Amino acid sequence: MTALAHWDHQGLARPVRRTTLRMQAPHDDEALASAFASKERWAFEEAYRRFGALLYSTAYHVLGNAEDAQDAVHDALARVWRSPDSYERSRGAVRSFLAVCVRNEAITRLRSKQRRARLHERVAAEPQEHDELRIVDVVEHDRLRAAMQRLPEEQRKPLELAYFAQKTHVEIAQQLDIPLGTIKSRIALGLRKLSGALGGTR
Amino acid sequence: MSAHIGDDAALYALGALEPQEMTAVEAHAASCVACRRLLANAENDVATMLATQEQLEPPAALAERVFATLDPSEQPQRRATRPMWYTVLAAAVAIAVLPTAYVYRQNVAMHQAMLADADAMARVAANPHRSVAFAGRDARVMYAPDGSWYVVVIRGVHAPLHVMWPHDGEQTMLGTAVPHGDVALLYLPKSHRMDQLALVEGGRVVGQAQLVF
Ligand SMILES: [Zn+2]
Repeated sequence: MTALAHWDHQGLARPVRRTTLRMQAPHDDEALASAFASKERWAFEEAYRRFGALLYSTAYHVLGNAEDAQDAVHDALARVWRSPDSYERSRGAVRSFLAVCVRNEAITRLRSKQRRARLHERVAAEPQEHDELRIVDVVEHDRLRAAMQRLPEEQRKPLELAYFAQKTHVEIAQQLDIPLGTIKSRIALGLRKLSGALGGTR
Repeated sequence: MSAHIGDDAALYALGALEPQEMTAVEAHAASCVACRRLLANAENDVATMLATQEQLEPPAALAERVFATLDPSEQPQRRATRPMWYTVLAAAVAIAVLPTAYVYRQNVAMHQAMLADADAMARVAANPHRSVAFAGRDARVMYAPDGSWYVVVIRGVHAPLHVMWPHDGEQTMLGTAVPHGDVALLYLPKSHRMDQLALVEGGRVVGQAQLVF
């Protein structure tokens, strides 16, 4: 909304008590979410304007090139727009909803690309080494790295493999030789803690 | 109904589910509000992580592609019928909003403010509301019958106006309506009914409205 000007109460007919000068924070997010849920065009455009950089960056960091990243963002948004029940208010913030949609779209593309590559090039490459390199390479974001480091190893490892190497829980369980159910709960716990450490609001 | 999603919410948000599990989570969440909230929390957590990554500017061509998808023929829901005054007001607001595309880089803050104005008008158009004129000024307030939101529109204005809520012998400042063109607009989400609003300019009350609930 609009910027709030400094309020000068001099000259008012009635004096303004300081305690009642409640500045109203903008509630753009609420209005956007309602309109987004009822599929109003302006809300989609506005969501792209506000979150486009986050969405594009998210896709780019998974796929590693501009062309695929653009396709992923476009296809994810198009699917949300076309499907009637994709988003409701109870799904939370439009920003995080879309970020996850785009990331999942990007990951799906990455996996099918990798499958094709394996098929065509018969690359029986053992992914483990590559994954470790990729983690070290990508975790240059100090805050995220610091927060990750504070997690217990048993939560940090599977969370890193999911977030940075886009592994499924089945692949992670295999790689770490830990039962499926255990992996799920460790990832869920790790994610909650990490978000709390990063100052995420719930 | 299928089983609640539990820890799968986190795995869904991280993209760590197998394809068929992903589909199952989406199907369940579509009919279970508790699990939608679980997903919302997990997605919020993942978005917090994603926000720490290096942010890249998307190519301009992507915006065009995305907006082209929003073809009117594909719009899934009718818009609410608009009252006559809206058409007039929307035109006024549109004139204020239109040129912003060209000055986007130079004036992001103003652009955001104008978009917010457009948001507010769309909200009014899409919801049942009441409308009351201000005495003393060419201005109206549109508001939800339950007092959950208010939109104040002032015309013929060239300087910011403050909107106040006089109650119990006090004045609560609600916000400032900043003009774009010569229309100023302020959207106020609220949880209570305000039966009186005042416009204040240069420290003086220049307009008053009595609201009925
Ligand atoms: Zn459920």
